[in-house]
Amino acid sequence: MLESKARTTKRKRKIFYNQQITVNNEQEQFEQRVSGQPLRAVPSAWRGEILATARAARAESVATVAEPVGREPWRALLRRQLVALLWPHPKAWAGLAAVWVGIIALNISTHEAAPRMAEKSVTPSPEMVVELKKQQRMFAELVGSYDTMEADRPRVFAPRPRSERGEIAVT
Amino acid sequence: MKMPGDSELERLYDAHASSLYAFLLNLTRDVADTRDVLQEVFVKIARNANLLRGVREERAFLIRLAHNAAIDLMRRRGTRERTKLNLAEVLSPFAPASDPDEEVFRNELAAALAELPEEQRAVAHLKLWGGLTFEAIAVALEVSPNTAASRYRYAIDKLRERLRPLYEELKK
Repeated sequence: MLESKARTTKRKRKIFYNQQITVNNEQEQFEQRVSGQPLRAVPSAWRGEILATARAARAESVATVAEPVGREPWRALLRRQLVALLWPHPKAWAGLAAVWVGIIALNISTHEAAPRMAEKSVTPSPEMVVELKKQQRMFAELVGSYDTMEADRPRVFAPRPRSERGEIAVT
Repeated sequence: MKMPGDSELERLYDAHASSLYAFLLNLTRDVADTRDVLQEVFVKIARNANLLRGVREERAFLIRLAHNAAIDLMRRRGTRERTKLNLAEVLSPFAPASDPDEEVFRNELAAALAELPEEQRAVAHLKLWGGLTFEAIAVALEVSPNTAASRYRYAIDKLRERLRPLYEELKK
């Protein structure tokens, strides 16, 4: 029973396989038949005309390459502008660049001198500190006597209104 | 800037113009449009020196340029004009045959091709008459190889279905 079933399945598979081969062969034959059809040839007069137009377009493109119109990346535009600006007098631009380099170098060297001077200043000696304190005390005594004289002077008190309203009230 | 020289342009034209012409004629079905697009492709090459630099598949690349230009041209046209063109007599991309049976078959084949959607027609043309692989077609039409293969399968099935009676008759 099982054997006969397996045989049937095998036979069916074989039929399907053969059908597929037939279909594929038919398809291949059809494709061959179709692809064998010759196509129209390009008119011979077009060659000269099209190539002449292409050459003319190329010549036009070469002529306008110095001044391209339309969209251009900004970097390319910047580079082109710089080249156009610098190229006519390269020596003059190089001299100007050298002067600027000199100025920058001088500027840097003078900036470095200031901290060095600060580093050179040393802390004062204890004797010097004592002397300075003595002088400071003496000055304080002198100034202090002046201050006390000023402080002892009697103050003249004149009551004044604190505001315009007060002023009105007083008057 | 270095531009492609005259001899290089001539070489490109002689090598590829015929296949581009047939492909464009099959797409546009119009001789004037075909000429315009073919010229546009060569003008583009002549103007741009870097266009073909590093290109491995020259034919596939040129077909891509031509295909894009043809699609642009067809889009520029209005729907009305396209309809008018579809209704007009179809220009066969095939050479005239001396045998009447062959002539009938070619005309029917041209009509069947015209009925295909543009994307299927392009793939079928490049596979059947351009001799391109699906990989090359994928590069040329900017689709995946699987898409190219499935479009081809659809196109062939439609062509077979359409031409079966005539094909069977002619086989006898």
